[in-house]
Amino acid sequence: MTSTGKVIAACALMIVVCIGALSFWSEVRNELDREWVTHTLLVVEKLQEVRIDITQAETGQRGYMLTGQDRYLQLYGAGVDQVHRDMSELPDLVLDNPREHEATQRLEPLIAARLAELEAGIEVRKRSGLLAGVEAASRRNNGEKWMGQIAAQIGEMRAAEAELLSKRLETAAASGRKMKVIVVGGNTLAIVILLVKGFVIHRETCKRNLAEQNLKHMNERLERRTSELSETNVELESFAYSVAHDLRGPLRHIAGYSNVLAQDYAPQLDMEGQRYLAKVADGAQKMGHLIDDLLSLSKVGLQELSLQTTSLDALVRQVMDELEMDSARRTIEWQISKLFDVKCDPALMKQVFVNLLSNAVKYSGKREHPIIQVGQLEQGNERVVFVRDNGVGFEMQYVGKLFGTFQRLHKTGDFEGTGVGLAIVQRIIRKHGGLIWAEAEPDRGATFFFTLGPPEIKPSSEPELAIKEEAMHV
Amino acid sequence: MSNAVEILLVDDSPEDVELTVRALRRSKIVNEIQVAEDGAEALDFLFCRGAFRDRTFASPPRLILLDLKLPKVSGLEVLQAIRADERTKAIPVVILTSSKEQKDLINGYNLGVNAFVQKPVDFEQFGEAIRQIGMFWMLINQAPPVGGFVETRAQGA
Repeated sequence: MTSTGKVIAACALMIVVCIGALSFWSEVRNELDREWVTHTLLVVEKLQEVRIDITQAETGQRGYMLTGQDRYLQLYGAGVDQVHRDMSELPDLVLDNPREHEATQRLEPLIAARLAELEAGIEVRKRSGLLAGVEAASRRNNGEKWMGQIAAQIGEMRAAEAELLSKRLETAAASGRKMKVIVVGGNTLAIVILLVKGFVIHRETCKRNLAEQNLKHMNERLERRTSELSETNVELESFAYSVAHDLRGPLRHIAGYSNVLAQDYAPQLDMEGQRYLAKVADGAQKMGHLIDDLLSLSKVGLQELSLQTTSLDALVRQVMDELEMDSARRTIEWQISKLFDVKCDPALMKQVFVNLLSNAVKYSGKREHPIIQVGQLEQGNERVVFVRDNGVGFEMQYVGKLFGTFQRLHKTGDFEGTGVGLAIVQRIIRKHGGLIWAEAEPDRGATFFFTLGPPEIKPSSEPELAIKEEAMHV
Repeated sequence: MSNAVEILLVDDSPEDVELTVRALRRSKIVNEIQVAEDGAEALDFLFCRGAFRDRTFASPPRLILLDLKLPKVSGLEVLQAIRADERTKAIPVVILTSSKEQKDLINGYNLGVNAFVQKPVDFEQFGEAIRQIGMFWMLINQAPPVGGFVETRAQGA
């Protein structure tokens, strides 16, 4: 996903989370608002009840005053109790509103005064009978006055509560509307963002699919090219092989007949004639070596590797013995250190040592005391085998030509050779996934280094592993 | 027996034939050499047919020197035919060719060749190789008894 895509997705997520939080918060607010509405209604009802209570007390007192019956006295008592109970609840209900609280405090003495008057009337009636009571009641009848004031007070309070109620209803409705706006608007926004995001993802997917298709297409082309190339390579190798092969026939005839000529007709040729004939034979022989080398070179290319765990040590000693037999008259000092066991094609690896060591023998041939070293060193993770001689060496500026086919750094008059040996060595090393390089100085010898690709077997210098390897070989 | 063919040389190159015959003669081991220039002629000779219908199986060559690249019938096909027939299967065959290709070697030995020699370019080496082949198969090696295989089979059956 691109960074823009991530930002868009994060925005959408954040908005959805915010909407959730806001909805929750406004739901809480709304609930609170609705509670206030309920509360206001409760206050109004309570005030109403107080009026009804007082009216009940008055009805009870009046009935007693007229009839003297206890029934009315009980009605009066219940009314008074009810007034007290309701009035005791009222201050708590209006605690939230200081104005109403004050109004309640003003209401209390009025009610107390009215109740006291009613009580006094009952006392007179009890003590002195109907007439005295009626008389006393009419004499000091402030009932209407008290009741008027009480009603006014309650009315005022109810009016205030009504005002509060309408305000609170308005608030509740407003917060409900706000919540609707938040939920609808926010969700719409989130949906829009997700749609945009979906579109962006769709476009990116399209682009990626296209890129993937392109890549696949290019890979296919590359594969085709590679297989074409390797086919061409194999064809070329086969061509080189069959050409070299077919050249051997006529060459054998040239060599054969010049030899026959020399054997049968030598007396009829003068010295110059015999010299020419020798040149023909010599040329044919050289060409024979060239062709053989060319054949080995193209064979390396065509051949499949048959990998086996091989002791490079044994290979080197074998090659050394063969070379010593060839150059029996020369005394070469061989310095061979312990080498790795490696997984390689033993026949090809022997060819590597044959070519490198015979080169070393050849180019150190003019030394009084030729020294040839074979050893190994570790470079980072890689193991490097080297072959060093103290021969004529070469100039490093020509090192690039060293491994080319038919490339020679020395005159044929000085050293014989076809210029294929190192090309074969390089091809074999590369086929093993390794590298080969050289360092030299004119007249101070040359060193050839090579690796054999990723190491699979530990060097035999580690005793434990060496024993294991040997055990495996048994 | 002095006129019996000792070596059948199958090679289509007259130069190779001449040089091979010369090398064999100079080694003074063989006298009677029959040359076949292609595989078909070699088979005619071996199976006493065509131009060789007067020959009998009673006097097979003691050695066949066989080139591989031959017109009409290839060297390997000739070898196959020789080994497939009871009357010729015991005759020693040495492949003498310029090739030392892996597949030729494998096919040759699979078909039961007795030896596989690459013709060296160097004439001295070539001559030496021919001399050694002649010496081994003519003088050192014990030839299979003539007709022995057919008779043994007949008795066994």
